[in-house]
Amino acid sequence: MANRHITIFHGPQHPGITGNMSIELDLLGETILKATTHVGYLHRGFEKLIERRTVIQAFTIVCRICVPEPDPNEVNFAMAVEELAGIEVSQRAKYIRVMMLELSRLAAQFLWMAGQSGSIGLYAVGQWAIADRDLILDLFEELTGGRVYHMYVYPGGVRRDLPEGFLGRVEKVLEHLKTRLKLYDDIFIYNASFRQRAEGVGVIDAEEAVKNGYVGQVLRACGIEADVRKDAPYLVYDELEFDIPTEQAGDVYARALVRRAEMDQSIRILEQVIEKMPEGEIMAKLPTHRKFKLPKDDTWVKVESARGEFAYYMAGDGSENIRRMQVRGPSLVHAYTLLENLLVGAELSDVALIMNSLGICPPEIER
Amino acid sequence: MNTLIRNRFGTDEIEVKRDDLSKVTVVKYRVFELIHLLVEQYGYTTLNAITCADWIEEGHFAITYMLTTRARRHTFMVQTMIGREEAKIDSLTMLFPQAEIMERDLHEMYGIDFPGNGNLVELSLENWVHTPPLRREFDTLAFVNELHDFREGRDDNLDVKAEMKRLRALKKAAKEAAAKKEALKTEEKEEASQPSAAQKESGHGK
Amino acid sequence: MEEGFLIQQRQMESDLSSDTSHKSSVDFLMNWFRKRSIFVLAYGTGCGAIEMPPTFTSRYDAERLGIRGAATPRQADVIIVSGYCSYKTLRRIIRTYEQMANPKYVLALGSCTVNGGMYWDSYNTIKKLEDYIPVDMYVSGCMPRPESILEGFLALQKEIAEGKASSWQRYEENYEFYRKNQEKVLGRNVAPAYDADWYLYDGGL
Repeated sequence: MANRHITIFHGPQHPGITGNMSIELDLLGETILKATTHVGYLHRGFEKLIERRTVIQAFTIVCRICVPEPDPNEVNFAMAVEELAGIEVSQRAKYIRVMMLELSRLAAQFLWMAGQSGSIGLYAVGQWAIADRDLILDLFEELTGGRVYHMYVYPGGVRRDLPEGFLGRVEKVLEHLKTRLKLYDDIFIYNASFRQRAEGVGVIDAEEAVKNGYVGQVLRACGIEADVRKDAPYLVYDELEFDIPTEQAGDVYARALVRRAEMDQSIRILEQVIEKMPEGEIMAKLPTHRKFKLPKDDTWVKVESARGEFAYYMAGDGSENIRRMQVRGPSLVHAYTLLENLLVGAELSDVALIMNSLGICPPEIER
Repeated sequence: MNTLIRNRFGTDEIEVKRDDLSKVTVVKYRVFELIHLLVEQYGYTTLNAITCADWIEEGHFAITYMLTTRARRHTFMVQTMIGREEAKIDSLTMLFPQAEIMERDLHEMYGIDFPGNGNLVELSLENWVHTPPLRREFDTLAFVNELHDFREGRDDNLDVKAEMKRLRALKKAAKEAAAKKEALKTEEKEEASQPSAAQKESGHGK
Repeated sequence: MEEGFLIQQRQMESDLSSDTSHKSSVDFLMNWFRKRSIFVLAYGTGCGAIEMPPTFTSRYDAERLGIRGAATPRQADVIIVSGYCSYKTLRRIIRTYEQMANPKYVLALGSCTVNGGMYWDSYNTIKKLEDYIPVDMYVSGCMPRPESILEGFLALQKEIAEGKASSWQRYEENYEFYRKNQEKVLGRNVAPAYDADWYLYDGGL
């Protein structure tokens, strides 16, 4: 019997997708002819909710825009409000923010490892990676009170100073993670079966990647050294030493190697931050903490999250409320323009592999 | 570059917000000319985002195109105003394929039409027949209250503002009572010292 | 210093050894089987799905209570509604819930299922999950810690042992009520319109 042409939903209820989205696939046998992405299962109307709230009310819900990695959202929101309202942040608060961002990046990369290894069937790595990520979440809980959603970075600084001995505990966790990362290299990154599955799959062209606005590891695995921390430095990244790892092949395996190298760089940055942490105030002296007057102006701020460049457009209108806050997450273009082109000609079993390597996170697409 | 753009397009001064961000506002029918100029002559190869803000008091939407250089060091915000009724602006999909999804998002949320974009179907909402939600005239709380009803609160649930008023009034009353007591006490003390004075006087008078 | 999961272990052992409310030995045995092997559907519907991997993997280890994941609705016992539901997701949840085989249970996580949570004024989320599908157990928090989710499972197991967890019967008996609420927010066509053309017209299976 010849292969038949069917249409299936690689749907919202599926163990092989990252988050709550679906892809409608036209298949001929097991080869994909056409892919259509469907998002919107997590649409909460954030931008409308934030228009109804003042700055202090909005800051509590902003971290929920991106579920696996909430800290870039908080830092972006704080940076945008500070730029509009003209508030200066102290050095100590900047260093603490960098520490939060890098710890969050490490936790997100561990989550990526669990997802990517699960997509090829290597479930042992998932068990290890989630347990190691939990050690970082314990640190977050000690500092901010919440494991996943912190609500810690406030426009003007951070909310709470570091507890006694916190930096020593961070160092111990980093030492532990450095020994663990060697195990992951053996079982996952340099595993022959992962290499065979991942090499040559999901290849992206460098020229097209730059034009189409792809960000993050997609660009870095094509050989372009793209990182907001070096291109347009924010907070104190211009005082810290780190490299941007790149690969040339542009396929799933290259993106995995880039992510693994970035975890080493994150640990390097954290060690420098622990060493250089200055003393001082953590919160700017504001006339009143609950009311910010945002002028009639707009701005565009961006940070580098674990998956790419995360940017916010914020406009104020001279009152206490925020007129407009638009979120441009890294997955917006990756899930539509990139994924629909990349899946044409791929096999059905590679869909989960490709989605995990692009790092598609649906809540930030439809907010 | 900034002076050339200002002279050729008749705009105001190019606003330099940070050393990696500039903004210019042009009229609607010259926006694509400016974008082509930036892309071809000055190397702004990437379109990062298309954003929109609703200025209902002034009767327009402010659409902004974020263009970034090839080395990602500088971003240019190209802003233009379009009317709120019959909101329409040409699509940029020929030049940048990622504009298709960005325009689809704005079409769904604001009701802006982008002729030239063939895929303006629903993205996040499903079977939505009311006003486009991000427009300022759409009242989300009224919409929610019409469609849903919330649970009853707890029996001891109190209204925050009323409760604060009551507590403040209580505090004020307690302060006044304490002040009155203090005043009474000092009066009593004075009276207590007064009879001795009266006694002394009467003593003297005797 | 004891960590949360060690307290969980003691609580579990004391709870399961002390339930004596059963109707007959067959009932007792059936309930014992059901509560000792709960299969959870792999569907992360909202925010709370980020605390589900820690619950089901080696640190907080839900598998020692017999809980593990299942890939399809036909094989699952419990559907976890982890947080807010937009209307689009609610449609899929209802379709998935109706595909599961009895006995089936619903565990609702977070405060968004109770009264709307922090999205109380959002035009695209539902406010009370109980209006649309019957709920057995609520676990509050935003989002609930893995230890809270395990406590929720223990409480669900206790209810199963006592025969009180009967949300599927409530759904069948009060179907008009649930269907009316579903149609109010989703329109007449509650289930998504998947065309079955290929099945019927392409020569069949």
